Amino acid sequence: MAGTLRSSLEMSLFSQPVKVVRILGALGITGGITLFYYRIFAVNNVTVALSFLLAVLAIATRWGLVEALVASVAGMLCFNFFFIPPIGTFTIADPQNWVALFAFVVTAVIASHLSASAKRQALESTHRQHEMEQLYTLSRNLLLLEVHGHLAQETTNLIARVFELAGAAFYDRSSDRIHRAGPQDIPVDDSKLRDSALQGTVFHDATTKTTVIPISLGGQPIGSLGIQGSHVSETALHAIGNLTAITLERAHAQDAATRAEAARQSEELKSTMLDALAHEFKTPLTPIKAAVTSMLSDSDMSPAHQELLRIVDEETDRLNSMLTEAIQMSRIEAGQLQLHRSPQSVRKIVQSQLEKLGEGLEGRKVTVEVPEDLPRVSVDPEFTGIVVWQLLSNALRYTPPGSPLTVRASAGETEVIISVEDCGPGVSEREQEKVFEKFFRGKDQRERIPGTGMGLTIAREIVRAHHGRIWVESEPGKGARFSFSVPRAPREFLL
Amino acid sequence: MTSARILVVDDEPQIRRVMRATLVARGYMVGTARNGEEALDKVREERFDLILLDINMPGMGGMEACRIIRSQSDIPIVILSIRNAEKEKVEALDAGADDYVTKPFSMPELLARIRAALRRAPLMSSGTPDVLNLGATEINFASRRVTVDGEEVRLTPKEFDLLRYFASNPDVAIPHTKLLQAVWGPDYGEEVEYLRVFINQLRKKIEPDPSHPAYLLTEPWVGYRLNLPKT
Repeated sequence: MAGTLRSSLEMSLFSQPVKVVRILGALGITGGITLFYYRIFAVNNVTVALSFLLAVLAIATRWGLVEALVASVAGMLCFNFFFIPPIGTFTIADPQNWVALFAFVVTAVIASHLSASAKRQALESTHRQHEMEQLYTLSRNLLLLEVHGHLAQETTNLIARVFELAGAAFYDRSSDRIHRAGPQDIPVDDSKLRDSALQGTVFHDATTKTTVIPISLGGQPIGSLGIQGSHVSETALHAIGNLTAITLERAHAQDAATRAEAARQSEELKSTMLDALAHEFKTPLTPIKAAVTSMLSDSDMSPAHQELLRIVDEETDRLNSMLTEAIQMSRIEAGQLQLHRSPQSVRKIVQSQLEKLGEGLEGRKVTVEVPEDLPRVSVDPEFTGIVVWQLLSNALRYTPPGSPLTVRASAGETEVIISVEDCGPGVSEREQEKVFEKFFRGKDQRERIPGTGMGLTIAREIVRAHHGRIWVESEPGKGARFSFSVPRAPREFLL
Repeated sequence: MTSARILVVDDEPQIRRVMRATLVARGYMVGTARNGEEALDKVREERFDLILLDINMPGMGGMEACRIIRSQSDIPIVILSIRNAEKEKVEALDAGADDYVTKPFSMPELLARIRAALRRAPLMSSGTPDVLNLGATEINFASRRVTVDGEEVRLTPKEFDLLRYFASNPDVAIPHTKLLQAVWGPDYGEEVEYLRVFINQLRKKIEPDPSHPAYLLTEPWVGYRLNLPKT
């Protein structure tokens, strides 16, 4: 394709009539020299040959190879006819003159070749320099383009404008859209642009001066570019293709990053909102709780009033624990779960949570089976307490009043497993996978039993942060066992 | 004891109301302030025996107010806050608070904490020496004065009580729970972070090199021990 582009380049630079005039000029110069030495100023043959040679060199440098070759041939013929004896014929008697004529022809041809190619190279390098400038302008403008929905169209416009093209077309594979630009509508149909992108083929049409090249980045075809106009070299065209690819890829990457950032910010905002809201609700709860507990601590009150106040107190606590859950959840989601781990006694953690539940146990029988010699666990006591509390209050909520609970703990090689067992309706196999999901509520309990659907999610996230596991085993109708594992404390800390 | 004067600092009027009603009914004298600046003014104008201080208030917050009050006075400060993360508790204790109660609280619990904060250990208890010398540090339990290289160092009442408990039980490891119950009161025992903060503050005040303590030693996973210099 390089050859085609180059010859068409010359064609465009020197149109046909100019060429004919120059060839006639070259013939005229040769004739002039012949006339001068033949008729006016007789000199020896070497001088004549050198004069012809000078003329050929001048023509090659000034006009080009074709004109120089015409001048060489004409010069050779004239030299032979008018100056090499026998004069007036094309025959050459003396072999010495054969050598002279041959030397003249070879010198003329080589010299004209050399000077013509030097000229062409100079022209080409000027052209290249211009192209480089255009490429630089394009890349600078592409970098300055704002990333938004019209990027592909603006890129096409820029290419057409900077390279002064009659028309340009860009096929963007990701959106399957074709963008056209330039003063003329480029005579390339959509299917050709698509084919070029998908098959990675180059189309060139010399009559309409259109070229279509595929554009790919990292081996992935991302589209194709068509241009109309013959002065853009193949190298430049590929450079334009690469620049376009990089520009679009930059846009895509930026787009993806913006979307991810937006998602993260919205999640963060949600967490912050939930946190703020929960705190706002806790503010009015504080005087309610203070007032009701203050009244409850007065002994001279009728049992009926005491009972009513106790209800207010208990419901205040429930509201408060729901808000606490919401705050915990928002902290966990905002990634603010920071553990302060130290060796802890499981028995102590379980005991303190049972004490915290207090009245909430409603006189149920809770069996604690934690061996005396159970190794300590390496956990954050505050958060592990929350896990135990969640499992206990979950069991209390979803099992019939009065049914017993068992808290068990056993040590393995590297971990300790803590379980809460109940004798409730159990968890169906289908729901076992989902109980730890956020806002999931059991099908049968959704309406009957109050809850936020966050408790077990909070438990799961805390256990995960400790690199432990949490799971449920259940046979419907026979109760459920919720278990979690936490790492054992290193041996040197065992006391 | 029940005629003690308590300053309630909270921006929520309902909380001030309920606190005033309850505390007055229990025989305390109550003053109120709506933010840190007002609290500082009140403390300057009147004498109080205890401050109940909210953290989150418009204008000067509780943390800042606590720091300023503590730099000028030994008055017991109990923080009342909605936040219950350990980080915030430690920050408040570092700012000089004596105790930290999470909102919403039950009134009997708060009253117990108030009594604990107001309680001054008797000046002399059996087994406590009059004067204890720890290198350059001299602690006079009779006059409640501490000097390091002859310069007086101010200890908060809780810091002083803690030090005195150590002095009456030297060279033995004292468990966290025992320390908390002896110095704060019988309702305490879980608040290990309190000890961490107060021991750190004591070390800064009396140890020659607080990061490598020579007297107040940590007994890993048990508690703390006062190491008397060998003479």
